[in-house]
Amino acid sequence: MKILTTVKKVVDVELNIHIENGAIVEDGLQYVINAWDENAVEAAVVLKENNGAQTTLVSIGGEDNTDMIRKCYAMGIENAILIDEPSLAGADSFVYARVLQKVYETGDYDLVIAGKQAQDTDNGQTGIILSKYLDLPCVSNVISMEVMDETHIKVSRLGDGGIEIVELALPAVVTVSDSINEPRLPAMRGIMMAKKKKIEIMDLAKLGTSLDEVGGAKSQIVEFMKSKTRQGGQKFEGDAAEITTRVVDLLANEAKVFI
Amino acid sequence: MGSEIYFNKEHELVRKAVRDFVKKEINPHVDDWEEEGMIPLHELFKKMGELGFLGIRYNEEYGGEGLDYWYETVVLEECARIKCGGVPMAISVQSNMATPAIAQYGSEYLKQTYLKPALKGDMVTAIAVTEPDAGSDVAALKTTAVKQGDHYILNGSKTFITNGLQADFLTLLARTSDAPGYHSFSLFVVPTNLPGFQVSKKMDKLGMRSSDTAELYFDNMKIPVENLIGIEGEGFIQQMQQFQHERFAVLPLTYISVKDMIFETIEHLKGRIVFGKPLIKKQVLRHRLAHWLAQAESLQQLAYHIVRMKMKGQDVTRQISMGKLLGGDLLNDVSSGCLQMYGGMGFMNDMRISRLFRDSRLLSIGGGASEVMSEIITKTYGF
Repeated sequence: MKILTTVKKVVDVELNIHIENGAIVEDGLQYVINAWDENAVEAAVVLKENNGAQTTLVSIGGEDNTDMIRKCYAMGIENAILIDEPSLAGADSFVYARVLQKVYETGDYDLVIAGKQAQDTDNGQTGIILSKYLDLPCVSNVISMEVMDETHIKVSRLGDGGIEIVELALPAVVTVSDSINEPRLPAMRGIMMAKKKKIEIMDLAKLGTSLDEVGGAKSQIVEFMKSKTRQGGQKFEGDAAEITTRVVDLLANEAKVFI
Repeated sequence: MGSEIYFNKEHELVRKAVRDFVKKEINPHVDDWEEEGMIPLHELFKKMGELGFLGIRYNEEYGGEGLDYWYETVVLEECARIKCGGVPMAISVQSNMATPAIAQYGSEYLKQTYLKPALKGDMVTAIAVTEPDAGSDVAALKTTAVKQGDHYILNGSKTFITNGLQADFLTLLARTSDAPGYHSFSLFVVPTNLPGFQVSKKMDKLGMRSSDTAELYFDNMKIPVENLIGIEGEGFIQQMQQFQHERFAVLPLTYISVKDMIFETIEHLKGRIVFGKPLIKKQVLRHRLAHWLAQAESLQQLAYHIVRMKMKGQDVTRQISMGKLLGGDLLNDVSSGCLQMYGGMGFMNDMRISRLFRDSRLLSIGGGASEVMSEIITKTYGF
């Protein structure tokens, strides 16, 4: 089984992010691997260890994506492709999915594993759009995965009403939840091996496509705003009947939650 | 800023890996361990050993990673991010205090049987030098190891032994001759599962509360001769050299801890409004913080200088002694001064500064007191 895992670099949201004039201030930003993509990498490595799968990672971005890729190598990924194409700046999920489609078509992949969403945009679209472009079955929000045979996998996905068990014919696309696994910490040995591994760097031309073919962004982020800080709650003291009356009144007349 | 002069991308990947480990596997448990007065060392070291964090600069043949002192510095700097002093100290005992002599002087048997499992995290170790009547005056120690056939008979006691309650083996210094001078001592690997070993008591301490500290007793323990480290009679010299690893290890732990303490205090002062203004606006406090930052930076640069000297194979005894002396004073000043800036809140046990204040007090005492460091420095200058 050949697996293609998609990995995105995102801003480390644990650090303070400053916004000026509707744009994120780049100075002092630090980047990390998107957390759900780290789950995707772990899932791929587990399939490698347990089922002998071959693992390839693809990431879109510049030279500064290489640290993240080397971390994935240290976790156990075997091959990596970096799509270094400056003209993709400002791309949206549709463009990324089209580029990933081209990458998929260069290999003989059986399974694409992507994180279910990215920490920075929270769109949750790329993996699903990719499956549409590839005309492959897709299961999202996957929380477990097992190989049934060479052409089928069984996955569990978390739906609104409960857990759904899905048997899936390969090739296919899955997007994984953070519940699927606990990504391993890279060991020293892996880190040292990772520095020697080659990263295949490609641009659109090398990928056999062009900006015209992958298309322009269908959407554009025009402004960033910080989300409002949640206000503290109110505390009521008194007997239960008084408090209930007061809370019901506030819910009805202030919060207007009753119709 | 400037760290890229010393650390490359691989160092930074290692830094990130250790930082993630500390964040995920250690810091969430620190409060519980402090409360319980015990770190589950076998469990923790097993995880660290599997990731290769315990044997950074040790030979790969014995479970190490075969890397240089810069990598070790990175690991120590990140261990300083642990939210207490007890856990880094326990780790440092395993990697920098009880194992260097085995790696440097031990036989192949000792390296395979004890060093390798220690670096893999399968065994917990402790360094057993201090005795009730022999602390800084190491040469005054009374524990004896008398050779009888193919064994040494060990009698005596050791005190203030970090990891002592959980150790599978001790690296122990004992007197092997009554003759005066420094050639009457030998270092041994002492397995704690042999008859005659006893933990006399678990000691209660002012700080470093998560780290277990024991008083140990040896009653006619039979130690196989193959557990002698190096040559009989050379243990004192070997231990003095082993101390250099121990004392270097405290430097990164100190300057990072000091800087973190200062930055945490700055955040507190920004939010603390007194007489209508944030306390951070008070020049007297700002200048004090700046002075400490300058001292911490100096200590950090001294540590980097020492690493460069070590990489060249030079004797670093003077510089390490200077670093430990300055570090002990700095930790005492900064922890006390920052606590003062927290005011009454700083006196509360649930505040981190309170724990840091208690933990900081040890550095100028343990592993060679500041007075001993001063004496070593004077000797290196010949006065």
